[in-house]
Amino acid sequence: MILFESVSHDIGSTRIFSDLTLCVNKNEKVLILGKSGLGKTSLFRLILGFEQPKSGQIRVNGLQLNQIHIHQIRRQIFYLSQDIDLKNDIILRLLTEVWEFNFSQPLPREMVDKQLNFLELSPAILQKRTKDLSGGERQRTGLLIGFLLDRPIWLLDEPTSALDDTMKKKIADHILSSDKTCIIISHDRRWQDNPTVRIERWS
Amino acid sequence: MGAHDLSIFSLASLLIFLVPILYISRYLKLGINRTILVGMARMCLQLSFVGLYLEFLFKFDSPWLNGAYLLLMISIACHSILKSSNLKVRIFFKPLFFSLLIPFSVILLFFNAVVVHIDNLFEAKYLVPIGGMLLGNCLRSIIIGLTNFYSGLKKNEREYLYSLALFNNQTQALKPWFKESLTAAINPTLASMATIGLVSLPGMMTGQILGGSIPLVAIKYQIAIMGCIFYTEYFSVILSILFSLKTGFNAFDVLKPDIFQNTQN
Repeated sequence: MILFESVSHDIGSTRIFSDLTLCVNKNEKVLILGKSGLGKTSLFRLILGFEQPKSGQIRVNGLQLNQIHIHQIRRQIFYLSQDIDLKNDIILRLLTEVWEFNFSQPLPREMVDKQLNFLELSPAILQKRTKDLSGGERQRTGLLIGFLLDRPIWLLDEPTSALDDTMKKKIADHILSSDKTCIIISHDRRWQDNPTVRIERWS
Repeated sequence: MGAHDLSIFSLASLLIFLVPILYISRYLKLGINRTILVGMARMCLQLSFVGLYLEFLFKFDSPWLNGAYLLLMISIACHSILKSSNLKVRIFFKPLFFSLLIPFSVILLFFNAVVVHIDNLFEAKYLVPIGGMLLGNCLRSIIIGLTNFYSGLKKNEREYLYSLALFNNQTQALKPWFKESLTAAINPTLASMATIGLVSLPGMMTGQILGGSIPLVAIKYQIAIMGCIFYTEYFSVILSILFSLKTGFNAFDVLKPDIFQNTQN
């Protein structure tokens, strides 16, 4: 599903990684472990076409990552960035905009309520602005968007860092038992403890 | 009819007021005396040249020459806009040139043909001063628009990229910055339209009245020109952003890193 073939990547004159080869199969869950500064976030940014590799090839679902396929590729990916960089707006308006733009139909409220319930978020959060959310609320709002979009590939950058332990486990178990293809960057043990996960150690 | 000519001496007499200004600025250590002097000198020099040049233009009144003069004015405006917006001329000159040229020529020619009913659409007497007024005002609003758009995007780049991932559509992801820049760009003109006549008498009207027009005629021209300024600004700001997207972003819809003249900002 996601394939890196001897990819080298620089930012400016700094080499981020060289000759990286990585294969993530359909439905597989891969956890990337390693100290910060090893370019884990850059890996996601490469898959999304936000950065371009110096050399090597990246394939997503058989499509070579280039300017022709980039929109087809982005359409399949849900990305949760570390700081969940949602634009500042009222959450309900944001959800409506994202949903309506992607599916050209009105936002189904019962589905939102169901996910809010699962994520243990109060419906009052829908009236809040992005900037007023706490770290944990922000993370769960990001995940809520992911559940709604239901795209097949998930790229999660520290998705549970601001959550309490029970919530971490609940979300990790839920995502790892889903049919998504996932790459997860996380220092939380909850993700490592699950046997379905394949661990890639970077050093 | 027409205004009294001013002698060079009486014009120079106005410089008297510069003396206390220079003195005060120096006393307060504002450090702007050099800038003031250079600014005054440039204004005098540039306007004198334009005066001579306009005499020449008006005498020949050739449509080609007048048109060429407007194109030159647009080119200079583009340079000046990009310099003030800290954007690279090499990357943005062409899109900016067309985003000024299109609304500018449509509205200017409409003004000459439909509003004023002049036979020669390229008559220097109308084309050059009115064109200059439209351009001068557009200059300010496009600077505000482009600066807001690109520096805002640069500052919130991760937010933009995140929206790009969610919407998978550049236009949709850019909407917040586009809206913000457009309103910021046209707000000054909207504000001045709301107070014009109450607080300030616009320069064009003053000029016409001094030149011998009766106030009612001057007012009609002023109304027409304010409308034209607003329309030209509105469309040229929109186009300048839209046209710049092609060269300002790479094929993956990501902001190019080297679009700013000065990378410190």
